[in-house]
Amino acid sequence: MKSHKRPYFALLSTSVVAGTLFTNSAFAAQPHKIVQEPTLTIATGVIGGKNPQENAAFADEIGQALHCKVQLISTTGNYDQKLMAMLAAGQKIDVVYTEGSTLAQLAKAGEVTNLQSQIHHSAVLGNSRVVPQWEWNDIKLSSPNGQGIYAVPVKYQGALMPIVRGDWMKELHLSEPKTLNDFYHMFQMFKNKKGAYGLTLSSLYDIQPFMSAVGLKNGYELQKGKFTIPYATPAAVPVYAWLHNLYAKGLLDPNFVTNKTSDERNLFLSGRVGMFVYWDAWVPMLNNLAATQGASASFDAEALPGAVGPGGKRLVSKGDTSVFAIPSNAPNKALAFKFLEWWNTRPGEILGSLGVKGLDYTVKHGKYQLTQLGIDDNMDHGDPEPISSYWKNPFPSMQKGYANARAIGVHYGYQPLINSDWNNAQQIIWQYGDDAILGRLSPKAAVADMHAALLKQHYISQ
Amino acid sequence: MMSADYPRSQMAIPVRHPLVHHVNKWVRAVPLYVMLLPTIAYFVIFTYYPLLHSIFISMQNFNLIGNRPYVGLHNYRHVLTDPTFWSSFENTLFLGISILLIGFVAPIIMALSLNEVLSSWLKRTVQMVIYLPHLFSWVVVGGLWIQLLAPDGGLVNAVLQVMGIAPVQFMSDPNLARWVIILVSVWKDVGFNTVIYLAAMVGINPALYESARVDGANRWHEMGYITIPSLARTMQVVGLLSIMGVLRLFDQIYVMRNAVIEPQVNVLMTYVYDMGFQEMNIGRATASALLILIFTLILTLFTQRLIRVDHS
Repeated sequence: MKSHKRPYFALLSTSVVAGTLFTNSAFAAQPHKIVQEPTLTIATGVIGGKNPQENAAFADEIGQALHCKVQLISTTGNYDQKLMAMLAAGQKIDVVYTEGSTLAQLAKAGEVTNLQSQIHHSAVLGNSRVVPQWEWNDIKLSSPNGQGIYAVPVKYQGALMPIVRGDWMKELHLSEPKTLNDFYHMFQMFKNKKGAYGLTLSSLYDIQPFMSAVGLKNGYELQKGKFTIPYATPAAVPVYAWLHNLYAKGLLDPNFVTNKTSDERNLFLSGRVGMFVYWDAWVPMLNNLAATQGASASFDAEALPGAVGPGGKRLVSKGDTSVFAIPSNAPNKALAFKFLEWWNTRPGEILGSLGVKGLDYTVKHGKYQLTQLGIDDNMDHGDPEPISSYWKNPFPSMQKGYANARAIGVHYGYQPLINSDWNNAQQIIWQYGDDAILGRLSPKAAVADMHAALLKQHYISQ
Repeated sequence: MMSADYPRSQMAIPVRHPLVHHVNKWVRAVPLYVMLLPTIAYFVIFTYYPLLHSIFISMQNFNLIGNRPYVGLHNYRHVLTDPTFWSSFENTLFLGISILLIGFVAPIIMALSLNEVLSSWLKRTVQMVIYLPHLFSWVVVGGLWIQLLAPDGGLVNAVLQVMGIAPVQFMSDPNLARWVIILVSVWKDVGFNTVIYLAAMVGINPALYESARVDGANRWHEMGYITIPSLARTMQVVGLLSIMGVLRLFDQIYVMRNAVIEPQVNVLMTYVYDMGFQEMNIGRATASALLILIFTLILTLFTQRLIRVDHS
C-alpha cells in the first residue's frame, strides 16, 4: 500500500508547486504591478550631513528629486582607501566622489566612464554659465593623454591662498605684502606685537604663495615633452632659504612638519598664528566660526594674493578638483548622470550648501532662515560654493571676506598639472623641502638631492 | 588444548573485526567534528580562502574593475627589485628587533620590581597604570605622543626648556623619531606582558623560596635562582609571540610618520599599504604581502626550532 501511495503524493506536490509558480508569474504579469524604484548608490567622503541621521535625510532629499531610492555610502576617514576597497571587492556604485589625482589613476585604468559626449549634449552641464570651460579643461588634466572628460565638478574648488588676520594688519598699519621681504616684515610684526607666530604650514602642502615670488608652479610642468617639477629646480632655492630663515628666527610655527590642516585652523582661530595658507571658501567660514566660538570680537580673516613674481605675476594654486565620476560598471549610468545634472541645478546647489529643508533651513515668505543645525553645519554639505554663475548665496551677510578671496582665486589661480605619480613625487619634495627649512640640509643641497631622488624613481624625466 | 586453559566467559566474547572497531570510533567522534565545523568554516572562509585567493591576485595585473590579466611572477620580480622594498625591510628589522629586545626585557624588569612591592594597593595601582596604554588605540597613543613631543606647546619640550635645553624636533629628526617610535611601542605594551609575567610568578611554588631562605639565600639569590628560571617557559611564549609580530609593524608607523622621517621609519607593512592604496597597485601590494608572510613563516619556524617551545 505504501509503495502505491508514493507516486500520487509526488504528483500532487509537484502540481501544487507548479500551480503556485504559475499563479505567481501570472500575477507578476498583471499590468497594475508595483513599479520598483531604481536605487542610486553614491559613495562619498564629504557630501551629505554630519551624522547618519542627517545623511539619511540628505539621501531622501535626492531620492525625492530624482524619483529613486538613494543609498549614500558616506565614509569620512581614509575615504580614498575605502573607495578602492569597495571597488576592488566588486561593490556596484553609481556615483563616486573623488579628487583629481585619484581620478587620473581611475581614468588611466579605465575604471570610470568617459562622459564627454553626454556633457556636450546636456542642457545643464553643457551650459558654460553653469560649468565654465576652464573647469572642464582642469578636469581634462586628469584624463589619459588629456583626452575625454571622466568627471563632473562637485563644487567651485577655489584656490589655496594666504589667509591673514586682517584686524591685526589694520591695527599694525601693515599694507598688503608684495615681496617675500614684505611677508617677512609682517611676520616679524605679528611676533613682536602680538606674540604670535607669523606663519604656520602643514609640511609643504601650501607654499605656492611664496613660490610665486620666483614664478614657480606646484605640480608638474611639461617642457618639450618632458616632465619636470618646478619645486625641485634651482630656481626654488631662494624660497627654501627664506622659509628656513623664518624658522630660524622663530617666525614659522616649529610644529609645521607634523601639523595637520586642522591644527593650522585652530592656531589661527586661537590667535597663536597670524597667517596660514588655506582655501578661499574658508575665509567666511573662519569669520563665522570666530563669531560663534568665542574668538576676539575684532577677529577678521582676510585673503591675500601670493608674492609678486617675475613679470609682476602672482600665483595661487587651485585645488585638486573635487569631482563626481561614474564607475565603468555602474548599474544605473543614466540615473547617475541625471544626478550629476541635478546637483548643478538650484535645488542641488541648495542641498549641497545649506542642507536639508526643515532640518538645516526653513523658508518663510520666500526668505531662507538657518536652523541651529544649519548654523552649526556652516552652510557646507559638500558644495559650500557652487560653481554655477547663476548661484546666489541666500545669506550674503555670512560671506564676509569671500568675494575678495574668490576674486584672488579667479585672478591668480591656476590648476597644477598632476599625474598618477604625483602622490609619491610629492612625498620626496616634502621630505627634502622640510629638511631644508629645518636647516638639516642647505637649500641648494636639498634641491639637488630632491631632484636626484625624483629622477632615480622616474617621477620626472629631466 | 589451548582453548581449554581459558575461562568460559572470556571465550564467549566475539572477536571484533578491526574495520568495525575503526568505524565505531569514527561514529563516536562525529558529534565532536560537527562541533568543530563552525571553527573550521571560520578559518576556511576568513583565512585560508582569502590566502589562496591572494596568491592568484599576486599574479594578476589587478584592475579594480574590468580585466585582470595574469602576469606570472612579474609582480614578485618588481617587488624584489624595488629598492624601497629593501629599505623598508631594513627599517622593519631595525625597528622590529629593537622593539622586540627592549619590549622583551622591560616587562620582566617591571614584573620583578612589582613582585617586590609589598603594599598590595600600590602594586595593583602601578599594574593598572602601566596596563592602561595597551587599551588605547594607536590613533590615540600616536596623536598623544606627537602632541607631547611637539617643539611648541609639547610637555616634554616645555620641561626641557625649563632645564635650559633648546627645544628638540623629536618627530622630524629621523634618528630621534625612530627611537621615539620604538620606545612608545614598548611603553604601550609593557603593561600587558608585565601582567603575564606576574601571573606566572603567582604559580611559582612558595616552598622553593622557603627552602632557599633556610639555605641562606637573599632576595637577589631568590630572583636569580628561582624566579627567573621559573619564568623561562613564559618568556619562551612571550618571545615567540613577539617575534611573530616583528614584521607586522604598521599602526604606530602609519599614525606617527611624516614626510621627513618616512624614509627611515617606513616598514614592510606601510610599503604594502602605500603600494595598494596610494599607488592602487593591488597585484604588487598582494605580492609584497605574501613575501612578508613567507618571511614571517621562516622567522617563526626558525624561532620555534631555536627555543623549542613545544618541548619540555
